[in-house]
Amino acid sequence: MSLTGSNADDRFTHLPSQTGAVALALLAKLGGAVTAPNIADAKLKAGIEKTAVVLSASKGAALVVSGSNDVNVQVVVNAINEAIGANGTTINWGATTNTRKGVDTEMLQLVNDMKAGSVGALLLYDCNPSYTFAGDFDAALAKVPVSVSFNITLDETSEQCKYVLPSHHWLESWGDAEPKSGYVSLLQPVINPLFKTRPFQTSLLKWAGNTSDYETYYKNFWSAKLGSVATWDKALQDGVIEPIVPVAGSGSFNGGVLAVAAAKLATTKSGEYEVVLYEKISVGNGAQANNPWLQELPDPISKVTWDNYAMISPGMAIKLLSLDVMNNQRQADAYEVTPEKPVIKITVNGKSLSLPALIIPGLNDATIAVAVGYGRGTTAKFKERDAQKTMETIGKASAGAGQNAYPLVISDGTSFHYASVAAVEKTSEVYPLAQTQVHGFTEGRPVIYETSLASYVKDPNEVLAHPRHEREILVPYGKEDFVKDGTLYPDFVKPGAKWGMSIDLNTCTGCSACVVACSAENNVSVVGKIQVQRAHEMHWLRIDRYFTGDLQNPDVVFQPMMCQHCDNAPCENVCPVAATNHSSEGLNQMTYNRCIGTRYCANNCPYKVRRFNWLDYNGADSFKDNQQSLIGTDTNEVINHMNDDLTRMVLNPDVTVRGRGVIEKCSFCVQRLQETKLEAKKAQDPSIIRNVKTACMQACPTNAISFGNVNDPQSEVSKARTDDSRNFYVLEQLHVLPNVSYLAKIRNTDRHIGHEEEHAAPVAPAAAGAKKEEAHTEATH
Amino acid sequence: MSLLKYESQQREPLVDGNKDYHQVTEDIIGPIEMKPTKLWYVGFWISVGLLMFGVFSVYREVTYGIGQWNLNKTIGWGWDITNFVWWVGIGHAGTLISAILLLFRQGWRTGVNRAAEAMTIFAVMCAGQFPIWHMGRVWMAFFVLPYPNSRGPLWVNFNSPLLWDVFAISTYFTVSLLFWYSGLLPDFATVRDRAKTKFRKMMYGVAAFGWTGSTKHWQRHESLSLVLAGLSTPLVLSVHTIVSFDFATSVIPGWHTTIFPPYFVAGAIFSGFAMVQTLLIVVRKVMNLQDYITLGHIEAMNKVIVLTGSIVGCAYLTELFIAWYGQNPYEWYAFSQNRANIFTPYGWSYWLMMFCNVVSPQLFWSRKLRRNITVTFFMSIIVNIGMWYERFVIIVTSVYRDFLPSSWSTYYSPSIWEIGFYLGTFGLFFTCFFLFAKYFPVIAVSEIKAILKTSGENYKAKMTDIEKADAEKFYIEKVEHAH
Repeated sequence: MSLTGSNADDRFTHLPSQTGAVALALLAKLGGAVTAPNIADAKLKAGIEKTAVVLSASKGAALVVSGSNDVNVQVVVNAINEAIGANGTTINWGATTNTRKGVDTEMLQLVNDMKAGSVGALLLYDCNPSYTFAGDFDAALAKVPVSVSFNITLDETSEQCKYVLPSHHWLESWGDAEPKSGYVSLLQPVINPLFKTRPFQTSLLKWAGNTSDYETYYKNFWSAKLGSVATWDKALQDGVIEPIVPVAGSGSFNGGVLAVAAAKLATTKSGEYEVVLYEKISVGNGAQANNPWLQELPDPISKVTWDNYAMISPGMAIKLLSLDVMNNQRQADAYEVTPEKPVIKITVNGKSLSLPALIIPGLNDATIAVAVGYGRGTTAKFKERDAQKTMETIGKASAGAGQNAYPLVISDGTSFHYASVAAVEKTSEVYPLAQTQVHGFTEGRPVIYETSLASYVKDPNEVLAHPRHEREILVPYGKEDFVKDGTLYPDFVKPGAKWGMSIDLNTCTGCSACVVACSAENNVSVVGKIQVQRAHEMHWLRIDRYFTGDLQNPDVVFQPMMCQHCDNAPCENVCPVAATNHSSEGLNQMTYNRCIGTRYCANNCPYKVRRFNWLDYNGADSFKDNQQSLIGTDTNEVINHMNDDLTRMVLNPDVTVRGRGVIEKCSFCVQRLQETKLEAKKAQDPSIIRNVKTACMQACPTNAISFGNVNDPQSEVSKARTDDSRNFYVLEQLHVLPNVSYLAKIRNTDRHIGHEEEHAAPVAPAAAGAKKEEAHTEATH
Repeated sequence: MSLLKYESQQREPLVDGNKDYHQVTEDIIGPIEMKPTKLWYVGFWISVGLLMFGVFSVYREVTYGIGQWNLNKTIGWGWDITNFVWWVGIGHAGTLISAILLLFRQGWRTGVNRAAEAMTIFAVMCAGQFPIWHMGRVWMAFFVLPYPNSRGPLWVNFNSPLLWDVFAISTYFTVSLLFWYSGLLPDFATVRDRAKTKFRKMMYGVAAFGWTGSTKHWQRHESLSLVLAGLSTPLVLSVHTIVSFDFATSVIPGWHTTIFPPYFVAGAIFSGFAMVQTLLIVVRKVMNLQDYITLGHIEAMNKVIVLTGSIVGCAYLTELFIAWYGQNPYEWYAFSQNRANIFTPYGWSYWLMMFCNVVSPQLFWSRKLRRNITVTFFMSIIVNIGMWYERFVIIVTSVYRDFLPSSWSTYYSPSIWEIGFYLGTFGLFFTCFFLFAKYFPVIAVSEIKAILKTSGENYKAKMTDIEKADAEKFYIEKVEHAH
C-alpha cells in the first residue's frame, strides 16, 4: 500500500502484471477502440466500472495517472486521458514537470558504450549508478579511462571513479532549477563552505576555458537574462521566477500507437507471486539513506524505521507463513508483540533477496512490495562489504539499514521494470524490525471519526454524534457545560493568550514532513534502530495510522499525535517535583532540569506522547562519554553524530538538548511563541501573534495544521474550530481538556465508512463533488 | 495469678517444653554468643553475592541510564515498581503483628514479633531502593524532599501520589525501626549482662542504651510500646493505601480503581504473612526454636493467610465485575482482554495470580494442612509468587495496552539488569536477616518470659491440677458454706 493509495477515496488492488489489463478495461469502458480483457476479480471489475462512470461524468475535469514504467501502459493511460478530455484541461502540456527526465534507453546505451570502450570520459554529478543501476555499472565504469565524480559525499560510484572532486553541498551552493517548465527556482547558499570543495560548475567553466567562477557567472547570467541587477535581486529574494502569464498548452494523442501497445499488454504474463519495487517517502532512491532523521522517520504505512522489508498481505501470510493475523488473535498478538518477523526469500530472475515479511492489510494477495534505497554500500562489486566499511565510506546512518533491492530491477534492453514475477519461499530465519506502531486498528475505540461525503451531506452532525452524546451524559443532571460542570474541581478563567492547535484529518496525507520538521526544530534525538525496536524513539510528534472499514481493503486514517497540552493534564498532578506544569497560556510545559525521571507522567498520559531519555542519545549526559561502550549492543553508531562538531551544527540553538534521564515532549514550539510574542510586543501590535507557526504547521504541505491563540477569534485555530460538525477532541470523555482538536475525516465516496453497520445509506454515485473526483488508479499496490 | 493473664486451657501452649526463665535466655541468647554455623556462612555469603550483583546492576543502570532496562515509551514502570509494591506489602505483616496484635493482646505474637518486625524493616529498606533507583536522574532524588531551598517558591508537588509515598514510606520506616529497637533494649541488656568478652559487653552496652531493668525503665518501656503500637496501627492501613494511590488516582484503565486501598492492604498482609512463614519455618528449624515458634503459631498465621487471601480473591472478582458493570469500554478491555483473556500476551500472568492468590490458599481451610510444615512452606512461596504477579498484572497489563491502540506495546520482559536489581534486594534482605539472626535475639526474650507463666506448656500441664483444686476450693467455700 502506498501513501497515495492510503489517501484514495476508493481503492482497488490488482497485480502489477495486471496494470495494462486494468488500463485497457477502463479504456474499453470509456469507449476506446480496444478489446476489454477479462478481469477475474469481481471487486476490481466493479471498481473499473465505477471509475468509468465517474470519469465519464466529469469529462474535462478528471485525470488518470499511472506509476507504471511500461511505455505500453502509459500509452493506454494517455488514450484514457484523451477519452476523458484531460488533454489541455487537467493536463497542461505547456508546463511539464521536469523532475524525472531520465530515459532508460539512453542510460542503457551509455553503459553499453562504456563497456565497449567507446566512452573516453564520464562526469558524474548527483547520481550513484553503481548503486541504483540494475546492471553491472561497475564493470562498465572500469573501462572508462577518465571518470570524475562531483558528488557531494562519498558513495559507491565515487569510490570507483578515477577522480573525486566534491562539489559544494546544496546549502553552500548557488544554483538554479526548473522543476516545472517556466518556473525557475533559485538557490543561494546559507553557509560558507565547510570543506575544501568546489562547485562542479566552476570546474566545468575552468575546463572550458572560462576564468570566472560559477558564482560570478551565475549572477551575470541571470542579471542579463532578467534585464537588470535589481530584478535579479528581487527574484533572488523571492526565490522563484514565475511566468507572468501561465503557459497553457494542449497536446494531441496519436491513436496509431494504441493498437500496438494494447497487443503487447495482452501478452503480459502473471505469476503466483509478483514483487513490486517502490521508493519510500523517507530515503527515496537511497540518496537520502545517510540522513538519520529520514532513516528514523517511520514509514507512514508500515511504521517501520531503519529497514526495508517485504510487505505482504494478511492473505499471503496465511498461505506463505501459516500466520492468520486477521482471525487468529493469538497469532496476531504474537506477531505484533515481537519485533522479530519471519524472513522470506524472494527470487527474481535468478537474483535472491531475503527480507523480513511485514504483514500490512490492503495489499494485493499475490503482491510483495519491497522498497529500494536501502542496503547502501553493497553493490555488485561490494556485495560482501561489511557494515563497518559502509559506515566509514557512506556514513553512520546508512550502515546496516536494510538491503539493496535494486538487483531485483529487470531490464529488457530498452527500459527497466520495477515489478516482476518472483519465486518466494519461507525461510527459518527471523529478523527484527523497528516499528514505532505495532497495532494498526482502533479496536472500535472512538479515537478518530470519519464518514463518507454522502452521509456528511445528508446529516453533517451525525459524524460526531458519539462524542456529543458522551459530553451530555458526563455532566451532572441540570448542568450543561462539559468543561465546567464535568468535574468536581473549580474552573479557571484563561485570559490573554491560550495556545491551541487544530488538525484536519481530512487534509492530512500522512506524509510525515511534520515529524522531520519537529525533530529538526526541537533537537529531537535520533536513537538508532536498536533503541527504536525497544520503543525508545524520541519523536515528539508521531502520526498514528489506523486501518478502518473492510480489513481486506481497508481505509487508512492518519492522525498526527503530539502532546495535547491538556488544561486538566493528568501528567501534571502526578509529578512529585512539579517538573511539568501548566503555563498561564495553556501550555503544558516541561522543566528539564527539575525532572528526576520517575516516568509517572508518561504512564499517566492517555495519549502516550511523553518521551523519556532512556540512554544518553546526544552526549548531553551528566556523565561524560558514557554511551561509547553501549554502541553495538544497546545503541547504534548513529547516536555518535551528536558527539561530532560537524553534525552538531544541525542543533537549534534556541532549544535545550535534553540529557539522559529526563522526560521530554512537544512544547508547541514554545521558543517560536516567545519570539513572536516579543516581536508583537516590540511592534506594539498583538495581531503579529497571528503569524506564529509551529514547525509542524510550517512543514505541512496541505495546511492540515492550524495553530494560534484560541482566545483570538481571528486566529487560524479559532477559524478552524468553527466547524462544529467536524471538530472533536481525542479521548475527550476523560475530561483532561486537551488543547489540540481534530477535524473529522470525510471521504468522497458513497461507500459506508467505518465499522458500524447500521447507518449505511448509499447515495447515487458521485452525487456531490463529482467535479473533484479523481480516480487514483493505484497502479501496483 | 493475675486474672488479666488468664489463659484458657483450650488453647495450646505458646511455649513448648519444660522451660524456665534461664532456659529461655540460654535458648535465645546462646546462639549470639556462639560461633556461627557453616550453614550460616554459606547463606550469608550467597546473600552478599546477590547483593553485590544487585549493586552492579544498579551501577549499570545509573551509569548508562534506565535504557538498561526493557521499559519503553508505553510501559514506564515494570519490574521496578512491581518489586517496590511487593516489598512494601511484605513489610506489613511485621507491623500488624507488632502493633495490632499487641493492642488486641494476642499472646501468640511474642514468638514471632521480633523476626517479623525485623522482616518489616528489611523489606521496607528493599522496597525503598526501587523508587529511588528507578529515577532517571537519581542524583537529583533529593528534589522530592520539601526542604527550604534557594530556588524561590519552588516546592514539591503535594498533589502527587509519589510524594505521598515519600512521606508514607519514610514514616513507616521510622516508626517500625523505633518500635523494633525499643523492643530490643531489654534483650540487648541481657546479652550485655551475660557478655564474657569486653568487646561484646561494650557493643551491646551501647546498643542497650543503659537499660538496667528498673521498674521505672519497664514502666516507660511499656508506655512507649503502647504509644508506638498506637502510631503503627494506622500505618498498617495507611501505607499500602497510599501506595495504592499511585495507581488509583491515575487515569489509566486498570489503575483507576477505587477498590485499591482495602484490596492493597489485604494483599499486603496476605503476602507479609506468607513471607513471615517462609522465614520462620527456616529459622525455627535452623536455630532450633521449635519450642518458641510452635505449630500453633504457624497455624495462627495460616488462618490470617486464608482470611486475607479470600479478601483479596473477593477484591479481584469485585473489580472484574465492576469493570464489566461500569460499562467503560477502556476499563472493560483492560480487564477482559489484557488480563482475563488467557490468549492475549499477558493473560497467563493474570491466571497465575488468580491461582496462587485465590485458589491455593483455600487449602488452609483444612486444619490438617494448616498444621503441616511442608505444605505451609510451599504455600508461603506460592503466595509470594502470586502476590508479586498481582502487582505485575496491575502495573504492566494495564499500561501495555491502554487508551490509544497506536501506542500499544511490544512484549515486555525484564533485562538482566532489571532481574539483577531484584535479586540484589533479595541479597540485601537476606544479608540483613542473616546478620540479624546472628547478632540479635531473634525472639523477644523478655516478652516470652512474660507469657511463660500463663502459656508455657510446663505451666499449663501443672495448672490443670491447680485449677481443679481452685475450683474445688471455690465450691467448698461458696457452695457448701451456703448450706
